[in-house]
Amino acid sequence: MQALFILLIPLILAILPAFVKSNKNNGIANIAGYTLALGIAVVLASHPSEKLLFLNFFYIDALSMYFMLTVTVINLATALYSTGYIQNDLDKKVISQKKARLYYVLFNIFTFTMLLVTVLNNLGIVWVAIEMTTLTSAFLVGFYNDKKSVEAAWKYIIICSVGLTLAFLGTILFYYTVSKDGGMTSLNWTDMVSVIQRLNPQVLKIAFLFIIVGYGTKAGLAPMHTWLPDAHSQALAPISALLSGVLLKISFYAILRFSVIVNQSIGSQFTGRLFIIFGLISLGISAGFILLQKDIKRLLAYHSVEHIGIIAFGTGIGGELGLFGALLHVFNHAATKALMFFSAGNIIKQYDTHNMHLIKGVIKTMPFTGFFALTGAFALGGLPPFSIFLSELIILIAGFTKGAVVASCIFLVFLATIFGALIFHFSKTIFGPAPEGAITEKVPLTTKISFLLLFTLIVLLGIYIPQYFGTLITSAAAVLQGA
Amino acid sequence: MSYIMVISKRMTSIINMFSLQSFFLFLSTFLIAMELSSVELYVVSALILILKVILIPWFLHDIVKKVHADSNLGFYINPILSLFIAILLTYLAYFFTLRIMPADNHFDTIAFIVSLSVILIGLFIMVFRIKALTQVIGLLIMENGLFLAAVAMCGSMPFFVEIALFFDIFMFVIIIGIFVYRINELFTHIDVDKLNNLRG
Repeated sequence: MQALFILLIPLILAILPAFVKSNKNNGIANIAGYTLALGIAVVLASHPSEKLLFLNFFYIDALSMYFMLTVTVINLATALYSTGYIQNDLDKKVISQKKARLYYVLFNIFTFTMLLVTVLNNLGIVWVAIEMTTLTSAFLVGFYNDKKSVEAAWKYIIICSVGLTLAFLGTILFYYTVSKDGGMTSLNWTDMVSVIQRLNPQVLKIAFLFIIVGYGTKAGLAPMHTWLPDAHSQALAPISALLSGVLLKISFYAILRFSVIVNQSIGSQFTGRLFIIFGLISLGISAGFILLQKDIKRLLAYHSVEHIGIIAFGTGIGGELGLFGALLHVFNHAATKALMFFSAGNIIKQYDTHNMHLIKGVIKTMPFTGFFALTGAFALGGLPPFSIFLSELIILIAGFTKGAVVASCIFLVFLATIFGALIFHFSKTIFGPAPEGAITEKVPLTTKISFLLLFTLIVLLGIYIPQYFGTLITSAAAVLQGA
Repeated sequence: MSYIMVISKRMTSIINMFSLQSFFLFLSTFLIAMELSSVELYVVSALILILKVILIPWFLHDIVKKVHADSNLGFYINPILSLFIAILLTYLAYFFTLRIMPADNHFDTIAFIVSLSVILIGLFIMVFRIKALTQVIGLLIMENGLFLAAVAMCGSMPFFVEIALFFDIFMFVIIIGIFVYRINELFTHIDVDKLNNLRG
């Protein structure tokens, strides 16, 4: 079980800042650590058909590998970006040395809990791990300790805890039917799958309702998304990228696990409908808020709601194609959104405001960031040749071939609206006259590497899907269909 | 028991009521433990006694004293109406449970009704009380309801899940406590309805 070393890496890195004082060394250690973690995840995912069970506690299949890969990629990019970001904060004296070290500790514990979710066998412990992600990331949301960020952290912790309480009730109901009807006193995924045929469908339905509302709160599905724009806009830029890029997906991963059990017991129609309804509501609500948004990070946060909606929609359509599109979208959105949050972080540092009406001429003052913000905005809107276009297209094809014409048309209308709004907002900030006396940005090398890494992934996956990646997603989709 | 909490006006009294509710949770866990003669459940009930009945309420009282909070809870809805809504919620839970549970199993059904209504009332307290601390208590009430469901319906979850849960709740209260301090320092009050800088 060498794969579990991946869990040790963030733990070691979390302890490290106690001994290593300088920000630079901590940064280097984090970059090295996450490169290693990515290496492990890549090697692990090259055998997607394997199902690894260890001590009956850890369980890894294609679905876990896929999410693990996504987490490690985004984490590497974030580790690269954080070094420059934190250094900048230190130079400006926004935070102290001690606080910078605290950042690395929290960042790594947060990562640890997210990776933990993907490798667990027991769905009860999955719940505990997800609750832990809330607690650790809440500190990172309230990191600057000013009025707005504490308020955001408070809302985040309270709303998500209530959501997770409901998710736990769902888990209890699952356990109830597994033990009463299935005769299995355990919440282990492997045990639950073996008794699927005997479960009580009525209880399963209700339990899944609690699960989707509960974990959906954490995943940012509308109308339970209200904590999300606050937390995303107030957290540090690298953390916003993690929250939006992977944390939401991790919660969605939990919903997916439960949906497999329900699907095999009563057919995929029930969960499919729920996913489509929640997906479309998310798209509709985010479309409205994106149109009227002034704050650049809140804009991106509502985009996360939109993209979670797209993923839910794809999952709801189902079938091999729909699931493939949804899973591909998980990765694509994570990469693109991380790039966008990093750009937004740089822009906010330069202009010292979140308000898009006050940010003008980014391409002149910050040519590097400006370029990536512009292409990133196009990618996020779903323009070819970027990867999000591809996954949205796959989901749409799946939708129309499956006969969900009305839902797919509504989906298309919302996408078009959001695309228009996004381009409108970003073209205004990126072009236009540069403010008087603005200094041109200096971009640290690590930040450049981080941007280029994400950008390459976005363009590459937009043009073609490598065999390695394709097989991994197909196997993950097969897990979702009960293979 | 939650009914009393719905109408209780002062911070200290709601904490005491929480403690009492937890004590009943302890009793029922203890009884089930005797019935099943399971060592795990005895341990769990002892943990409930220590954590929920003694430590957490003590911790909450401490916070109240330290922040010199105005002990009035602040209502959006007056006590009588709250009580009425709480009864309505219980009826809802009853109605809902009868639809999903097999009728032959009376004990499970009743346990689920009670726990579901405790969860709903906890939620109600969270939504309709102004103070930040009350929201925490509402959440704790919800978790009490969850435990009742877990313990009564399933004859206890697998042991390590329960331990993890306790650990979690404990962490949770400590962290929330820190946040309440911070909110108090920064805003000089702990009224949640004034936390409205972030909108739209």
